[in-house]
Amino acid sequence: MPTFLLDDREIEFNPGDTVIAAAERAGVDIPHYCWHPGLSTAANCRMCLVELLPPEGRPALLLDVLRFDEEKGDYVLARKPKLQPACQLGAVAGMRIKSQTSEHAVEARAAVQEFLLLNHPVDCPICDQAGECRLQDYWLEHSGKKKRMQDEILHRPKAVDFGPTIVYDAERCIVCTRCVRFCDEVVGDHVLDKRERGNLGEIVLAPGRKLDHEYTLMTEHVCPVGALTAKDFRFKARVWFLRSVRSVCQGCATGCNAYTDYDPRNQTVYRHRPRENQAVNKYWMCDEGVLDYRRVHDGRILTARVAGKKASVEDALAEAAQRLAPVGKDKLAILLSFTHSSEDNLALIELARALGVGQAYATGRPSGSGDKILRHTDKNPNRAGVSQLAQALLGGLPLDFSALVAAVEGGSVGAVLALGSSVEDAALAAKLKRVPVVAISTFEGELAQQAAVLLPASSWAEADGTFVNAGGLAQVSEKAIEPQGESQPAWRHVLGVAGKLGVSLPFSRAKDLAKVLSAHAPKAGVSGSSAAAEAQA
Amino acid sequence: MEPLDLELEATEVELPVEPMLVNVGPSHPAMHGTVRCVMELSGESIQRVDVQVGFLHRGFEKMCERGTWTQVFPYVDRCNYVSPMLNNVGFAMACEKMLGIQVPERCQYYRMILGELARMSDHLTCDGAMAMELGAFTPFLWMVKARDLIWDVMEEETGARLTHSFGRVGGMAKPPTNGFKEHVRAVSAQVLSIMGEVERLLFGNRIFLDRLEGVGFISAEDAISLGWTGPCLRAAGVPYDVRKAHPYLKYGEVDFEVPVGTNSDCLDRFLVRIAEMKQSARIIEQCIERMADEGGVNVDDPRVILPEKEEVYSTIEATIQHFKIVMEGLKLPAGEVYSYSEGGNGELGFYLVSDGSGTPYRVRIRPPCFLATAGLERIITGQMIADVVPCFGSLNMIGGECDR
Repeated sequence: MPTFLLDDREIEFNPGDTVIAAAERAGVDIPHYCWHPGLSTAANCRMCLVELLPPEGRPALLLDVLRFDEEKGDYVLARKPKLQPACQLGAVAGMRIKSQTSEHAVEARAAVQEFLLLNHPVDCPICDQAGECRLQDYWLEHSGKKKRMQDEILHRPKAVDFGPTIVYDAERCIVCTRCVRFCDEVVGDHVLDKRERGNLGEIVLAPGRKLDHEYTLMTEHVCPVGALTAKDFRFKARVWFLRSVRSVCQGCATGCNAYTDYDPRNQTVYRHRPRENQAVNKYWMCDEGVLDYRRVHDGRILTARVAGKKASVEDALAEAAQRLAPVGKDKLAILLSFTHSSEDNLALIELARALGVGQAYATGRPSGSGDKILRHTDKNPNRAGVSQLAQALLGGLPLDFSALVAAVEGGSVGAVLALGSSVEDAALAAKLKRVPVVAISTFEGELAQQAAVLLPASSWAEADGTFVNAGGLAQVSEKAIEPQGESQPAWRHVLGVAGKLGVSLPFSRAKDLAKVLSAHAPKAGVSGSSAAAEAQA
Repeated sequence: MEPLDLELEATEVELPVEPMLVNVGPSHPAMHGTVRCVMELSGESIQRVDVQVGFLHRGFEKMCERGTWTQVFPYVDRCNYVSPMLNNVGFAMACEKMLGIQVPERCQYYRMILGELARMSDHLTCDGAMAMELGAFTPFLWMVKARDLIWDVMEEETGARLTHSFGRVGGMAKPPTNGFKEHVRAVSAQVLSIMGEVERLLFGNRIFLDRLEGVGFISAEDAISLGWTGPCLRAAGVPYDVRKAHPYLKYGEVDFEVPVGTNSDCLDRFLVRIAEMKQSARIIEQCIERMADEGGVNVDDPRVILPEKEEVYSTIEATIQHFKIVMEGLKLPAGEVYSYSEGGNGELGFYLVSDGSGTPYRVRIRPPCFLATAGLERIITGQMIADVVPCFGSLNMIGGECDR
């Protein structure tokens, strides 16, 4: 690989790389606001200016400047090198660049930082970006100077409603145009643009439009300052109290990599952020996926129910066994779920095998709209994982929900042990009522309504789980918070039912379950495969 | 009434000689703070003794790992709580060593003056308590009166008499008050005159001298091998004082002597402390002369020093500076440091490990009196039980510092 020299460090690069991209890959941070690896180069923030030493035997590009000489008490003519933005500077083998070690670059960055904060309001205490704001970080790292301007700052529009999800604050905006470029280049919707220049520059909506496409929250994500804030997150939490785990979005079959940010003190999940994975979602997530975290706390089933009345988990398990045992293995059916992790589904399949049950069905959330960017029409995160497991362990793909309803009506199914919350065809769900249904559900939904016995399952954020996306990539979503209410991971309830039915399963702990999973579906069992993909990226 | 048995000869009486196990403390008036001495007595003499410390362990060092570096100050205040200013300054110097910064000259003198006042209050407490425990109550009241005068200065400067939390990385919480120099001069003179009265009260007293003289001897070799420092080591004749041996702040530029003892007994430890107070007064006088009346006491470094409140409310730059230091904590570069200064009881060391974040990775304190207390067993074995009181008192064990 060709290399160049950055502050006495050899940096490898691929032909066509810019200096900043190569440096970032090597773990060297050149400060920047407007550059984003997933967007085109604008080179408008000037924070990444570096000094490029001239090639051997060539004159340097120099500028004439005036410097104040304290001794003379007057300006004297001086020269300084013409600095280059590292985000636009193509890497060339053998080039020598000075970043932190260049007094000119350091001086220029401090000046850029001073200008960016010139008209910035005193908003940190009420700004959601505080704590993860580039302006804060870079002020301390690259400026550290007090305000010199004595005048009142320039006031501009605040809390501008940009659409259903985003609020814009022109005073905080540094007009880096990342949001504009994101809408143009990734979404292909020129809904944002920049108006005016200098102090007056601001981001505006296209006339007659609102910021209302399917990826609006990514504009907030790319905003390096607090100019764009998400209505969903505004004033909800302070980021320095939040902790993150690596998770997988549950909104559709794409399986976008995300961070789940939660507050460990009150065990509450506050947001999803995209996590870079070049093989799946690159840098982005859709609005639906970002906001999907809300399901961790909304519409949850937190206690067991028997015949619609609250019951203890222990009583519900006993009741479940009482309903299932008399039916006999030939008329018992299991219903797998495309929305649950491979671990949960594997547990149910193992129970079916232990009991000798032959009838396996599977369902999930109904399909929805999709696009060519990230959103998949299949709204289930683990359809591929369930299919893999069923094929490996049951010798064929499970039948769909309408087949189950037909079997119930035809009398060949006498009881159902179901995993999951919603079904693909809600209109048919009521027909399940004919037979006893034991449901292990996370959310209120069709299955919970039909269930004679309902066991509360915890959500994906409360346990480690493997999900296989539409592309067949198995990814692990990590546990963020403790199981809510009386809920437990669904596979634990399956274990409980197995115990009451008098059969033993080949696992009793999460560790054993992961082992069984990797034995049956080697692709799905690789823990941290998303991390591997990250490394690849 | 039975007649006396005149036939019995005195030589035939056998007194029981079985050793007796006596447990003193942890809560006992003779054990300042909470220490337990399990003593094996033969009559009134101590055959063996087991000194047990740790009853005041509150896990300070571990607690330091929760907050920011600045939030460590209140904890070190509560280590040696009779001279908290010395701990404050010692910890601040450790952090500054790590950051590679030096506080302005005015601050160095300010720290020295406050530190020497704290040393005087430390020694006054120790010697006063020692006298009181031997029955001399009046000198105790005299010395505590002097200590109160010093605490008046502390209160004027810091707002608190005892736990000041006044040190800051890169400076002090506030610059000296307007009347600081006059106040310190007046107090220093008053303290010295009170000490003169105390000396007249005590040194003509045969009982007091007999209780201390030749009691609690330790050889210089033993004291060194135990890791003793401070007044206790100097009483054994070893002139080791961090201020002289490894001068910090402006100690290299001021004129003072290191008093040493000759007999290494309780009386020497008492006298060394009195002599040191006089040296402290000398140092204070020189510092007052040299300290500038104007100028800041904090370094000019936005990474460590909080901006003026007024600016925090009105400019974004100061808001950011404040936010960074308060919410994330000032950041010490990753690495480790050992920094030491002369505390009230000897070499007060801070060993800090930073992982580069705003939170301490490890804070280890070298408490001088922990090592001094380790020698208690040696100096009281073979002594009379009544000698435990002056021996223990002369080591000046401070529970907060010893057990942390």
